[in-house]
Amino acid sequence: MNDFVRVLPETCIALTLVFVLIGEITYYGERVRLLSLLSVMGLGAALIQVSISYEQGNSFAFSNAVSVDGLSLFFKSLFIVLAGFSVVSAARSSEIPAKRRPEFYVLVLTSCLAMCLAAGSAELLLSFVALQAVNIVGHLLAGFGKRSLRSAEAGVKYLVLFSVSGVSFLYATGILLSATHALNIYDIHKALVANPLPRIQMLIVFMLFVLSLGSQMAAFPLSLWAPDVIEGAPTPIAGFLSVGVPATGFAVAIRLFLATFTEASEVHGQWKVLGDFQWTEVLTLLAGATMLFGAFLSLRQTSAKRMLGCLVVAQTGYYLMGLLVLDEVGVAAVLYNLLVGLFALIGAFYVLSFFHDELGSDQLADYKGVLNRAVPECICLVLFLFCVVGVPPLPGFLAKFTLIGVVIRHGQLSLAAVAILAMALSTITVSRLAFSLVGDFRTPSSKPRRVSPQRNIFLAAILVPMLFVGVFAQFFLSWAGRSLGFIFW
Amino acid sequence: MSNRFISLMIFAPLLGALLQALLPQSKTQGGEGASARWIALGSSLIGSIVAFALSFGLQGQGPDASIGVSHPWVGSYAITYDVAIDGLNVLLVLLVALVFPILIAAEWNQKVGRRGMQGLLLVLQTAFFGALCAQDIFVQFFFWAMSSLPFYFLIGIWGGPGRERAASHGIAATSLGNAFLFAALVLIYYSVDPHSFSLHDLAGAKLSGKNLEIGGFELSIAPVAFALVSLGLALRAPVWPFHGWFTEAAKEAPATVFVALAGVSAPVATYIFVKLCYTLFPETLADSARWIEGFAVINLLVFGISAVAQKRLRLLMAFFCLGEIGMILLGVGSLSSAGIVGATYQQMVLGIGLTGFGLLIGIIEERLGHDSFSDLEGKRVIGGLVTQAPAVSLFGGVLIASLLGFPGLGGFVGHSMLVVGSYSVHPAIVLFIGAALLMGVYYLFNMYKLVFLGTPSQSDGQAGFKDLSHRERLYLVPLAMALLFCGLYPKPLIEVVRPAVLTILSMVKP
Repeated sequence: MNDFVRVLPETCIALTLVFVLIGEITYYGERVRLLSLLSVMGLGAALIQVSISYEQGNSFAFSNAVSVDGLSLFFKSLFIVLAGFSVVSAARSSEIPAKRRPEFYVLVLTSCLAMCLAAGSAELLLSFVALQAVNIVGHLLAGFGKRSLRSAEAGVKYLVLFSVSGVSFLYATGILLSATHALNIYDIHKALVANPLPRIQMLIVFMLFVLSLGSQMAAFPLSLWAPDVIEGAPTPIAGFLSVGVPATGFAVAIRLFLATFTEASEVHGQWKVLGDFQWTEVLTLLAGATMLFGAFLSLRQTSAKRMLGCLVVAQTGYYLMGLLVLDEVGVAAVLYNLLVGLFALIGAFYVLSFFHDELGSDQLADYKGVLNRAVPECICLVLFLFCVVGVPPLPGFLAKFTLIGVVIRHGQLSLAAVAILAMALSTITVSRLAFSLVGDFRTPSSKPRRVSPQRNIFLAAILVPMLFVGVFAQFFLSWAGRSLGFIFW
Repeated sequence: MSNRFISLMIFAPLLGALLQALLPQSKTQGGEGASARWIALGSSLIGSIVAFALSFGLQGQGPDASIGVSHPWVGSYAITYDVAIDGLNVLLVLLVALVFPILIAAEWNQKVGRRGMQGLLLVLQTAFFGALCAQDIFVQFFFWAMSSLPFYFLIGIWGGPGRERAASHGIAATSLGNAFLFAALVLIYYSVDPHSFSLHDLAGAKLSGKNLEIGGFELSIAPVAFALVSLGLALRAPVWPFHGWFTEAAKEAPATVFVALAGVSAPVATYIFVKLCYTLFPETLADSARWIEGFAVINLLVFGISAVAQKRLRLLMAFFCLGEIGMILLGVGSLSSAGIVGATYQQMVLGIGLTGFGLLIGIIEERLGHDSFSDLEGKRVIGGLVTQAPAVSLFGGVLIASLLGFPGLGGFVGHSMLVVGSYSVHPAIVLFIGAALLMGVYYLFNMYKLVFLGTPSQSDGQAGFKDLSHRERLYLVPLAMALLFCGLYPKPLIEVVRPAVLTILSMVKP
């Protein structure tokens, strides 16, 4: 029973899920609306549980399979907030018909639960199960628009890629299990320190993990799913997936790579590679390639959603920089970036979803002149997008600076140069998108403006926290920094 | 006046921009309410009045005069919101304070999207105030990079027929420039120990002797960072050979926006160059002063010759501005107090002169529908405006005289100090300046002759050419007055600048 208390946030989400499921079966008509309220309240309760868990300190639950520590709690709050925003943002979307909304809530809650479990998992099998749960639900979400050909395509692509990814995770786990007779990552670490794996075996294990987690994080060349899925899936779902899936990948990767394949270094707050296989070089290559690939690909897109999908890929490249330096400051920078990215991407996709409802298209060419009809939405979209690519004065700039700074500190100047180049390219991309919103200002549009206070309030609810993350950067950075006390080998 | 007012100066325009953007749409005047423009002008004026008041407070405060505040912002990265008006930036702060309310007044009757245009101009005002006053390179970059996007939208939305192309070339050049500057900044930050962004901490050759390894080569940090800073700012100032986007913007941008680009953005870029290089890399600067002089002479001559061939008022002004950037760089690279004081003075005077000239071009273009003053054979297209619009001609004459540095006007003081400063480097440079100014006299007065003198041409647009309206006079008069003041009584301004210049110069030549 004590174990369940330690994972109260997950318990809370699971209970909400059960109630929403029951509600879906028994409610009909107008009362279905209550389910969205129920989901949000359940998620809110889970968020409160997270803050309570902070006071209980670090501990393990379920025979050391689940770790409750700063890192997992950080990611749990991230996922819960993400799910909350997704539930609210879908409430008026025409891409998710009212009849199927309970189904959407169930899927989002399940996904959130699995993401939270993945964030806290200290055992490889649990990680595998949690990741698979995220991905199967992700497949259902990507194919949510059953009648849309692109959505169906996105669903299938997602399923195929992530079954391969799951298999490689399992295979790597198998190799590690046979070598170390342990599944818990901290036990594996102890065993590896005592008897290091041969270089070639280490290489295979690591590459298999990269194959699996790389596709989760959308790192090049496993990122090919991201633009397709983000373009194909209904827009609110695209927002949820574009933040949630890579973040899950990072939650697992930070714990797995740093707790298993590194050891304490002489410098406080830094790690060094365990054994003689320098796996950080693989990540360096991956990071640079991902940034450039994402930024270059985004330059020529004609669909706004696909453009954002490419930018999401570029983001992964930046985040990887924080991981590969094996430095607490770097990981804290990744967490800070994920936080900024959460608000910025959710906000951007929300506005795109509104445009989709208004215009029935996500092509840049069709956006022309939309500024005339929806001023606050367009201003917010521009702010969100500039935040994603890191243009001052938005918090995204500070976030990118923390990442680029940390790689420069570790002497990886070429990577920093690539990152800055990718930032400049992404700025051009986003300016193009912002520009197309304006269209030809001189011809007044015939269609009336549509003002909706609820939409403006929701946008403010995303924008204000996003700006707060930048203004009170000190507080959030130190929160991210404190979240790292998880490695107690 | 309390030092804390400096934040009001920086952020009042931004708040005004937000306020007028959030104002509900009024049904009259095509949805553009009248109160929005009063809010825009008011907030811009608040920032400007505070700027003037703070600048007066700087008088007679000694060599380390500075008025500002400092708050820690992101402690773990030692980023401080540290802003101050000091002797070095005060003239440009005055320039920004003078120009932006005038630009907003000039767009008073903009027909399409007035709120958006004035809002973006207000954002620019905040960005320039911030970039000028920042004493922390992170904050400086923050505001400086903030200034690049409004230009993109201002050109892309309100520009001429080729606006999309001009805007995207502009944003490509400026974001590349920002990227270089950002790279330099991160490099500087991590090369000192403890890591710092503060210009006070970094001052005095803290970077010398620090090395960096790239692909097996040992490079010292200061020259690399200097190259990145120069490149980053040269793309935005702009300096030959990075000026392509600038002339394209000159062709397409609305007159007010081009004024902000040529009259404010370019001087501010040269200011940032002076501030960063003299503070951070004095030794590298001393070594590479000859290169700066070289680029400055190229700028002067190439753009002087290009200007002679221009047939359009806007392009004439653009090339003149580019040539003057070369003139300012001559002062910057001279490493002499007269040169740098002259460069600082000229930054302001040039800004005021170009603002007036640019707005005048806008007025002429608005009435005629084009801005060509001669056809390909050098025959006049417009002419004799002096009889139809004496006020326009008078202002035109005063502004041209100041731009060229006729005695009694601001340009004279700036130019003569620049000449004195550059003479100490090499006497031959004075010859180049003379040649450039002679060319300037030729092409500007040739233009004046073709546009204003002679008999009025019989073209359609010119028949009903109206003289300046009261509103237009109201915003052109302060500019002319400022130029006269700068020319007749430069003493108070130079006295504030000189001590600060001597301080930074002492770092280069101990």
